[in-house]
Amino acid sequence: MDDQARSIEVEGEDVEAAVAAGLDQLGVSRDHVEIEVLREESRGMLGIGAREALVRLTVTTPERDLADTGAEAESVLVSERELGLSDTPEDALALARDVLAELLEKMEVEAEIQSRISEPQYAGDSPTLVLDLLGEDLGYLIGRKGETLAAIQHLVRLMVNKAFHRRSHIVVDIGGYKARRENTLRKLALRMADQAARRNRTVALEPMSAYERRIIHVALRDHPTVATESVGERDRRKVTIFPRPQSS
Amino acid sequence: MKELIEYIAKSLVDDPSSVEVAEVEGASAIILELRVAPEDMGRVIGRGGRVANAMRTLLRVVAAKQGKRASLEIIE
Repeated sequence: MDDQARSIEVEGEDVEAAVAAGLDQLGVSRDHVEIEVLREESRGMLGIGAREALVRLTVTTPERDLADTGAEAESVLVSERELGLSDTPEDALALARDVLAELLEKMEVEAEIQSRISEPQYAGDSPTLVLDLLGEDLGYLIGRKGETLAAIQHLVRLMVNKAFHRRSHIVVDIGGYKARRENTLRKLALRMADQAARRNRTVALEPMSAYERRIIHVALRDHPTVATESVGERDRRKVTIFPRPQSS
Repeated sequence: MKELIEYIAKSLVDDPSSVEVAEVEGASAIILELRVAPEDMGRVIGRGGRVANAMRTLLRVVAAKQGKRASLEIIE
């Protein structure tokens, strides 16, 4: 598009009227033009020497940003990103990292954050965003029965999901504590499943948190001969492993 | 401690401009009074008080490091 074509000179009774007429002619709003007053109106004396005002309007905003369909489509995309509707796991991970860093700073905790996206074990599951804290003497951040770590994770999750308007699965770990625990639980699950199958009876595990129970359920989701179920209330809730009813 | 609670609360509510935290020096502990817009109360308390308790847990850890005790009160 030729820029010259987007600059016009307009006359009017006064400056204001000339500008209004020019905007009308261009079909744009005042925000999209640069206004130069080339000549102020003058009343003259007794109608002699009266002159109309002359202004030059130059369109400053590129054509695609004007109120046409292209601009609409673009602004929708922008607001989608602002709303987090088009975010990727990488975006969510970056935000989670920032939120956690800010939280730690306000808690006066010095730690390095290692972040990664852990691919789901099963296709269709959403990936897990893992934030691992590394540093000296961070044990107190785990807390009794992992209580403090759970609080940090819960708040980071809520804060990130609030900003993104969608649910991300976020795990906050300290020095691989949970990763090791998870490994131990998976091995335990397989050993107990084996026992349940061999003895053909139900095996009950120790009471565990929802997070730990989930690890057991997931570990045995595709097991050929046993199934799992959680029983009991509140902090007594535990996983039971029992032989799957065989059809043959 | 005030900044910590302020940061968390502002990130959770719909109306961050209404978030206020006051630090009140009590006899044996520092009391943090959190105020939010009435429609945001649920967000800082959480189901079964889970969010408020998570904030209290972090507060306890930070206060302990400074050899202090602190409690959080959410004011209606």
